[in-house]
Amino acid sequence: MAVKESLPAPDELTDEQQEAVEHLLYRLADDEFVVAERYTEWQVRSPTLESDLALANIAQDELGHARLWYDLLEDFGYTESELVWERDPSEWRHSTLVEQPFAEGDWADAIVRSYLYDQAEYIRLEALEESSYPRIRDRIQKIIQEEDYHREHAENWMSRLAEEKQGLERLQTAFDRLFPYALTLFAPTDEDVEDRIDELGLRSDPLDVMREEWLDVVVPFFEDLGVSVDDAELPEQYDVHHSEFDLPEHVGRDQSHTDAWFDLQEEFTHTYQKLDRHEANRIMKDPDEA
Amino acid sequence: MDIEEVKRRAGPREFSPKDDLPEEYRKAATRMIQFHANSEIMGAYLERPFIREAPSLDRKLACSAKVQDEIGHGQLLYRAAESLGLKTRDEMLDELANGEGKFLNCFHYPMESWVETPMIAFFVDGAAMRRQATLKRTSWEPYAHAMDKVCFEEGFHVKHGEAILHELMTGSKKEQEMTQEAFEVWWPRIIQFFGPTNDKSTHHGFASEVGLKQMGNDELRTAFLNAYIPKAEKYGLEIPDEPRIRKNDDGTYEVVEEDLDWDEFFTIAKNDYDGSHQQINGRQKAQEAVDWVREVLDEHEAREFGSTQQQAAD
Repeated sequence: MAVKESLPAPDELTDEQQEAVEHLLYRLADDEFVVAERYTEWQVRSPTLESDLALANIAQDELGHARLWYDLLEDFGYTESELVWERDPSEWRHSTLVEQPFAEGDWADAIVRSYLYDQAEYIRLEALEESSYPRIRDRIQKIIQEEDYHREHAENWMSRLAEEKQGLERLQTAFDRLFPYALTLFAPTDEDVEDRIDELGLRSDPLDVMREEWLDVVVPFFEDLGVSVDDAELPEQYDVHHSEFDLPEHVGRDQSHTDAWFDLQEEFTHTYQKLDRHEANRIMKDPDEA
Repeated sequence: MDIEEVKRRAGPREFSPKDDLPEEYRKAATRMIQFHANSEIMGAYLERPFIREAPSLDRKLACSAKVQDEIGHGQLLYRAAESLGLKTRDEMLDELANGEGKFLNCFHYPMESWVETPMIAFFVDGAAMRRQATLKRTSWEPYAHAMDKVCFEEGFHVKHGEAILHELMTGSKKEQEMTQEAFEVWWPRIIQFFGPTNDKSTHHGFASEVGLKQMGNDELRTAFLNAYIPKAEKYGLEIPDEPRIRKNDDGTYEVVEEDLDWDEFFTIAKNDYDGSHQQINGRQKAQEAVDWVREVLDEHEAREFGSTQQQAAD
């Protein structure tokens, strides 16, 4: 796809352009924030000290990315408080994959989730490398580099777990539960706005193309490990829109969420609420200055 | 080497795994380093809920990084303890899970509110840093070496704790009051961190003689109070009336022992306080929930090892 003409600076966008950029950024930022929030549950609970350190690293990378994407939303005048701490939970746009709670000790869930997520993440970041929005384009390289390590981490763990009967069974269970939610990673926030995102060249591949690409990577990988995907409801090839059958009841992208999300949101805003805070204090340099 | 020679040679970073050291030294060093490593893990366990509670993105990142650092310190310290040849890391982690492993008094008290976080990250870590700085000169070289990295990172933790305290004490009146209340609860525990004065503990004497310990508890407590009473006051915290702290003519402070609850302290030392049970059992449950993963890893290793053996035979 040819590179589209670059969009102007944040304060010079038309309302329609700005809406498209915002939708795209909420997809990115909310996913990264919530997936990280869940990963941190493994801190001081992982199977070994080494895996504890590794997952903490990944959580911090994702939080750092969330911070970079929220910062671009701040270009439109929003504050961190409005974006994270005071936003109504029913307005968030992350995929319902990342909000799912972990059952205690279900390390296979953490690994399968991160595998499904990180593969999708890599594909969508690649589709942003030539984004027509310079502020997004400029931040991709740093993020993509870190994602390489995340995919390697998940793949190594999956291979090791799959070698033993117990591990394979756990992977299968996690796959069966998570896969429908993972499909929501590619669901539209709003069909019209998603079309506009593509038309404006904000990303180089539309959602259904990325989903096909993702399926072509993850399905053979699971099958090679011995995890059956037969029961998974795979979307029909080249089906432009997701049919109702493919997706779970709550998609996330369209702001519908599972109960677990509302509990999680209450927990992470607890201190902010309890202390009657009205702003979130910054301690690190602004990403544009760093 | 006999114990007399150990005492004669005892100096900073004097002994390493190359030395043939008596059992008595190895035991004392293992006990001390294992305690330290356990404390890193239990400190991390205590603080982990506050990654979620942190009220800003930057602070959440910092909290996650701090907990990760503590686990990293645990990893380093267990390695330093393992190098004495008496216990493996898995044995030490199992002892911690089943309630035999000992750790710092302050990590036996569950935390409920964000306003308590600087009590650990500023005061307790600040106290720990005093002790740790002296351990760069401990006689077991792997321990001293671990302290280089630990002390470097602890410096950041104390700054992090201090920044949270500053934020709270310059925040709303409500925040300031809540922080003062938390401080009053934690202050005696923080002072007890250094143990009773004129500690008659038998471990202490021997550990000093063989160069494992570099400074006594009394000296460390005094140094801590000298530095931290002014800091607490600077941030607007009021030092509670009890325990009474007397200021000596030379400007140093002295704590009135009897104002502190030593029954509680010694109950904690036996892992028998309510909070001890809560913290130890909570972590044990988490460790057991992922037993299956470690089993898979062991099977994986056995298989890899087996095949390597076979290759070698070929």
